[in-house]
Amino acid sequence: MTKVLGKKELESWLNSIMQERILVAPKRVDDLVLFTPVHSVDEIAFDFQNTTLSPKELFFPRTETLFTIVHKDGEIEFTPVTVDRETVLFGIRPCDARGIAILDGPYLSDPPDSLWAQHRDKTTLIGLACAKPAPQCFCTSMGSSPTDTSNVDILLTEVDDGYAVEIVTEKGEKLLQGAELKESDVKPSVPQCDASVPAEGIVDAVKRAFEDPYWSRLADRCIHCNICAYVCPTCYCFDIRDYKAGGKIERIRTWESCQSKGFSRIAGGYDPRANKGSRLRQRFCHKLLYFPEQFGPLGCVGCGRCVTACPVNIDIREIISDIQERGAQVGQRSN
Amino acid sequence: MVKEATEPTNVNPFVPYPATLKDVTDLTPDVKLFTVVLDRAEDEFDYKPGQFAFVSAFGVGEAPFGLTSVAHRKEGLQFAIRRVGTVTNTLHQLEPGTKLGVRGPFGNFFPLDDYKGKNIFIVGGGIGFAPLRPVVNTLLDRRKDYGNILILNAARSPQDLCFRSECDDWGKAPNTKVELTVDAGDENWKGRVALAPDVVEELKPSPDNAISIICGPPIMIRFTLQRLKKLGFGDEQIVTTLEGKMKCGLGKCFRCNVGEIYVCRDGPVFTFEQISQFIEQF
Repeated sequence: MTKVLGKKELESWLNSIMQERILVAPKRVDDLVLFTPVHSVDEIAFDFQNTTLSPKELFFPRTETLFTIVHKDGEIEFTPVTVDRETVLFGIRPCDARGIAILDGPYLSDPPDSLWAQHRDKTTLIGLACAKPAPQCFCTSMGSSPTDTSNVDILLTEVDDGYAVEIVTEKGEKLLQGAELKESDVKPSVPQCDASVPAEGIVDAVKRAFEDPYWSRLADRCIHCNICAYVCPTCYCFDIRDYKAGGKIERIRTWESCQSKGFSRIAGGYDPRANKGSRLRQRFCHKLLYFPEQFGPLGCVGCGRCVTACPVNIDIREIISDIQERGAQVGQRSN
Repeated sequence: MVKEATEPTNVNPFVPYPATLKDVTDLTPDVKLFTVVLDRAEDEFDYKPGQFAFVSAFGVGEAPFGLTSVAHRKEGLQFAIRRVGTVTNTLHQLEPGTKLGVRGPFGNFFPLDDYKGKNIFIVGGGIGFAPLRPVVNTLLDRRKDYGNILILNAARSPQDLCFRSECDDWGKAPNTKVELTVDAGDENWKGRVALAPDVVEELKPSPDNAISIICGPPIMIRFTLQRLKKLGFGDEQIVTTLEGKMKCGLGKCFRCNVGEIYVCRDGPVFTFEQISQFIEQF
């Protein structure tokens, strides 16, 4: 038997959630679909393939105050920012949930990033299985699937008369208390994500192709607009700056991209990645080599956002295939 | 080395220790020595030569600097800081008594205990001598534990030599020699005028039972490394400390990586044997 939440029951459940917590859900804004705090179920978009931007900013905001600094009677006082409100993130796709889960690697490793930890702790994830993966999707090549329950608290899958409900965690179970679930013998369909990107063994292939002129040639067309990092659910590099507002100073963290000039430039002006080729290689080696070596999974979840967003068609799917081929050639040459 | 947090999720690792600037001394026209004291006794930390900390100028930002003092002398935390950017420009204008922040210590250190009984050859160029000063002071405080110590302090010009007066004192220790060199002298300079790598070749330190510790601008490192290898030093006998763009010091911001390693967490101290194994070479 399957637990099902009818469309009306879903609505009243979401309404009750909104009374006590912040509900963040996909919302249509012009021709974009963005995760936005909503105050009525009418605002929520249900018919979308994936949101234009990933929900990583709920956990790693574009700009976030780490703490405030106040001078008081000749002394310095720091007030760390804390995350107090409980949030429910509704409608996250399994690929994006995986993106958040794999960022626990860097952010929760010792010493844990307290803000990331608090955002994670205070947020319950209601996943929405993909009914029809988009053409740019390749989650199944990256260890996930359209119905992957691994990284959400609850997974909803659309069925004829509502949503099939899979309770994954205790957090999810708690959130569902009071929801009017019914038992049904409906079997949710299992959508396929057919794209196949040859990611197996990519770590070794990247290692072998590290010195390949491929990276520089590919980078020739990069205009370092940074859109790839902006839309990516797993790009997590940051900058830290001070911001003066009123009588207080805020130390803020902002997103940063390895494609920007000066990302690695050190005091005195020396920039070890002054050329675009080394910066482009940095991006893909971080995802396909350094991240898996440090934390296990590849640093890509196959959401395909960078594929559609890149103005010069730099396509990670193509890169993975090309590097497999080139890595194999290097392997043959050195044998 | 970061203090153990009781409730890790609530301890914000970006919050620095409140501190006060105690003293500022000119070392060169663009390098000053800052002595900083932590405001709360419970924040005091132990650290070793080669480790670094972030110093905050509130309202401007924070930047990482090598600790140039030695913990056991208890003289406060010292940083030799060159005026090159936004944070350092601000720091250079501060007066003693100013409130600062300190976050650290971070990174690994020069394994000086492993070098006991060895001859040590130290080459520092310009501000690159800053992380080597605590190495020299530690070696000299435990002088009998080490063999011959040869120090080469190099700079572009006589006025750019850091820790020049201390060099005179270091040279008075037994079996310790200090050589100074400049790329270009001036009317008062009676010392050596030669590039650091050429002086290395001239001094001919023996690689037998020796360790060479070098730090300076990339070009000096490159050529000094060549000369040391020519003299017979193996990559495992040559140690340096790397610089990287850093924002966190915690292995999170991914700004300081060289290939798969983080300079902040895995370094900054490496032997050239280790560096030669990095997939990415700068």
